[in-house]
Amino acid sequence: MPEILASVGQGFGVALQPLNLLACFIGVFIGTLVGVLPGIGPISAMSLLLPVTLSGTPEAGIIMMAGIYYGSMYGGSTTSILVNIPGEAASVVTCLDGHQMARQGRAGPALGMAALSSFIAGTLAIIALMFVAPALSRVAIAFGPAEYFSLMVLGLTLLAFLTQGAILKSLIMATAGGVIGLIGLDSITAQPRLTFDRLELFDGIGLVPLVMGLFGVAEVLTNIERRLSRDVIAARIGSLLPTRDDWRASAAPIGRGTVLGFLLGILPGGGAVIASFAAYALERRFSRDPGRFGRGAIEGVAAPEAANNAAAGGAFIPLMTLGIPPNVVMALLLGAFVVHGLQPGPLMMTQNAGLFWGIVASMYVGNVMLLVLNLPLIGMWVQLLRLPYNLLFPLILLFSIVGVYASQNNVFDIYVMIGFGLFGYLCRKFGYEPAPMVLGFVLGPMLENNLRKALILSQGELSGFLTRPISAACLLLAAALLVSATLPTLRRKRDAIALEEGG
Amino acid sequence: MVSRRAVLAAWILGAACPGATAVAAQDYPTKPITLIVPWTAGGSTDITMRAMAEVAAKHLGQPIVIDNRAGGGGTVGPATMAATAKPDGYTLSQIPVTVFRLPLMQKTSWDAQKDFTYIIHLTGYTFGIIAKGDGPFKTFGDMIAFAKANPGKVTYGTPGAGTSLHIGMETIAARQGVKFTHVPFKGNAETNAAVLGGHTMVAADSSGWKPLVQAGQLRLLAVWTADRLKDFPDVPTLRDLGMPYVFDSPFGIAGPKGMDPKIVAKIHDAFKKALDDPGVQATLTKYDMVVNYKNSADYAKAIDENIAAERQIIEQLGLARASN
Amino acid sequence: MRINAQAVAAAFWLSLAAFLIVAGRDLGIGSASEPGSGFLVFWGGVLIALFAAGMAVESVRGAPESLASLWKGARADRVLIVSAALAAYAVSLTTLGFLLATPPLMLVLLRVVDPVPWRQAVPIALGATLVVWWVLARLLAIQLPAGPLG
Repeated sequence: MPEILASVGQGFGVALQPLNLLACFIGVFIGTLVGVLPGIGPISAMSLLLPVTLSGTPEAGIIMMAGIYYGSMYGGSTTSILVNIPGEAASVVTCLDGHQMARQGRAGPALGMAALSSFIAGTLAIIALMFVAPALSRVAIAFGPAEYFSLMVLGLTLLAFLTQGAILKSLIMATAGGVIGLIGLDSITAQPRLTFDRLELFDGIGLVPLVMGLFGVAEVLTNIERRLSRDVIAARIGSLLPTRDDWRASAAPIGRGTVLGFLLGILPGGGAVIASFAAYALERRFSRDPGRFGRGAIEGVAAPEAANNAAAGGAFIPLMTLGIPPNVVMALLLGAFVVHGLQPGPLMMTQNAGLFWGIVASMYVGNVMLLVLNLPLIGMWVQLLRLPYNLLFPLILLFSIVGVYASQNNVFDIYVMIGFGLFGYLCRKFGYEPAPMVLGFVLGPMLENNLRKALILSQGELSGFLTRPISAACLLLAAALLVSATLPTLRRKRDAIALEEGG
Repeated sequence: MVSRRAVLAAWILGAACPGATAVAAQDYPTKPITLIVPWTAGGSTDITMRAMAEVAAKHLGQPIVIDNRAGGGGTVGPATMAATAKPDGYTLSQIPVTVFRLPLMQKTSWDAQKDFTYIIHLTGYTFGIIAKGDGPFKTFGDMIAFAKANPGKVTYGTPGAGTSLHIGMETIAARQGVKFTHVPFKGNAETNAAVLGGHTMVAADSSGWKPLVQAGQLRLLAVWTADRLKDFPDVPTLRDLGMPYVFDSPFGIAGPKGMDPKIVAKIHDAFKKALDDPGVQATLTKYDMVVNYKNSADYAKAIDENIAAERQIIEQLGLARASN
Repeated sequence: MRINAQAVAAAFWLSLAAFLIVAGRDLGIGSASEPGSGFLVFWGGVLIALFAAGMAVESVRGAPESLASLWKGARADRVLIVSAALAAYAVSLTTLGFLLATPPLMLVLLRVVDPVPWRQAVPIALGATLVVWWVLARLLAIQLPAGPLG
């Protein structure tokens, strides 16, 4: 313990050097910016700024890159809440209740809670990162294909708790999402699937254009077909900060969201998207009044935002301790280390202790900066809602298009977004929710790929899923959740909600 | 970097004097050159290409603008160039091996042997076979011996089916007369985790394993480069092990078909100088890339040989497209 | 004629399911212990078909909404105009470049749906284009299609 504290002190010594403070600020500032701009995620910003960091010291460069990453997780919720467009994929669930809150004139508390829960979860995750990083690196590698498959099954059972009312519609959307996720080259056999001989489809449909279409464009199309003069969002804007009641409702969800997000963030390929869905589903499952969800429940903002920020912290563990980046963003960060001639891995904590702890300490500093940066902005964002919609919607569409284009430099993605925009518009017309489709899209291909890998490894033995302990535990939990979802008492409860919904 | 006014002026000038091709070859280049890099910006391929383009631009006297067009495993960029660009030397593309391999596996819009003017072959990646540090395989020979005794029991991870790593491992297996079981992962990071966690026995991947090998958690059994690595001088190459192979998924630069040989020579010379530049060499080393130079004629010849060799192994693997 | 909205939706899903089942079979389903490329495509199709059949039953039993009622009081023409404008923008983006293609799109969006006065629309269209271009191309160094303006 004393050694850790000494290391932390050393780390702050590095993080508080003026140059590194400046790098940290630039990083979180750009991160907030790209997080707020829909579609432009941390990936494009980091990859383009990577060469810029070359000129400085390794510490400054990596602190800046890391700042962009967790800064964008922070900013991603803003457009979700204000205009129902997820700034990045991990904020999809934040739309569900966040935007409803904004419609009820509670955009301020929603944004405030998103920022504060992000701050709390981010900080807790860094503390956890310091103390348990080496121990948890084993978790990341304990997950083989069989374990992943079972985890994905568990993830899909969350659907039952994610949606309200028509479960059949959610199931169909999730299945369709899963199939859309399969478009592209089959990674097992390299066979093109459902590509219609279009080269652009060989790499599959991108998550960004799908989400931006289903949420952003569809939302705009739904709004403009009604009279526009009416303000879409209630003009009255209450307090800007969460109330005491909001805090009471959110405290426990933030805690649960943090733990869940941190653990899922460690797993390669898992990450922030699943964490935010899972946290939301968990809160809805344990809520005394699940009917409030989807209609502006503050827990529905607090839990997923905590989860996706904690996941951002957890994702550093496999990178720093094993040199294994669990997602694309971390792969870019790995690139940043390599540019500076450093190799993250088992030896880094001992060979480059100053750098390691300096980066961790800079994340504390960055989180405080983010809070200071974001809280005053809330007032400004809320003012944005006063813009008449006929001025606002062209700007929303412009940002969406540019964001989608910029994430891959690919015009084809714009067509994909328009297509999913029209599809999402029809879905709203016919009463289908888009969120399950996103969950299916993310989980479906992973489920398939891991199922097939697991069966290659076990030579076709299906029993492997039950004999491996982690896998068996996931499957049991999934079964328990499904049974509890269909138990008569809960059933009645949900039917009552559905009735209310329909009536 | 590129002055926009200069670009505009060059564009207007270019439009004002059409059709003067003989003069164009003499004076080439008179305007900025676009180099398509079919990968997203910031990756190792992108960064090394940018480093080379910067030096080559100095020798050509005109800026080289990098255009990142990702997609189709790095084939969308070259395919777009083949379909739309004029062979005037102002549109070039980086050519990854997928350009030759994909047409063997499925219907594509281009013919790798006809639709490009190959200019210069530049570099390749560092690939190697890794096993668990405390596992039973101490050497490449251990792995082969085990595979001989237990056909199909050696499982290996790669970043995906049809990658150079998959095809390389199968080529090795065929040569050694053994059978491995292929487990395709998505991307590089997962293969290291799979070996560490004991999910696959070995993996073939690019140099992401370096820190884990240095820490002793993974063991490097063999590398696929032409020469041994500076960091691991004890690890044999495939050639050391008696197999005449170098697999490094090499890439070069090409333009659309029908380019003027004089222009080709100018571009070749500029990139050759870039390849010899110490700054570029340092960047390549950082990303564990190895120089794999071939001039225009050798490049074109190597492609024919490459396609013939890969066709055979792809057919063996059952990855070949149905003949239609 | 009253067309049942949910029946239309069910028909859409059923045709999608039929496509997936055929496509999955062509790709190769394999077996439970050795799934092929088409395994999940096929079973996804089957699942969608089952769910859609369930919905078809529901649509007959419940009080059906008519297709027309979904668009009652709605201006579907605006949806079509905006989608077409976006598609036209996507087509022209590479040739015209960002700076030339964007102002016309913005003007269409600002004027056609719910007209903003010209003296507001023009500055907004130009201003938004320039600000977005500056933030992306200059601040974040993201490549946007240059077009003839280079």
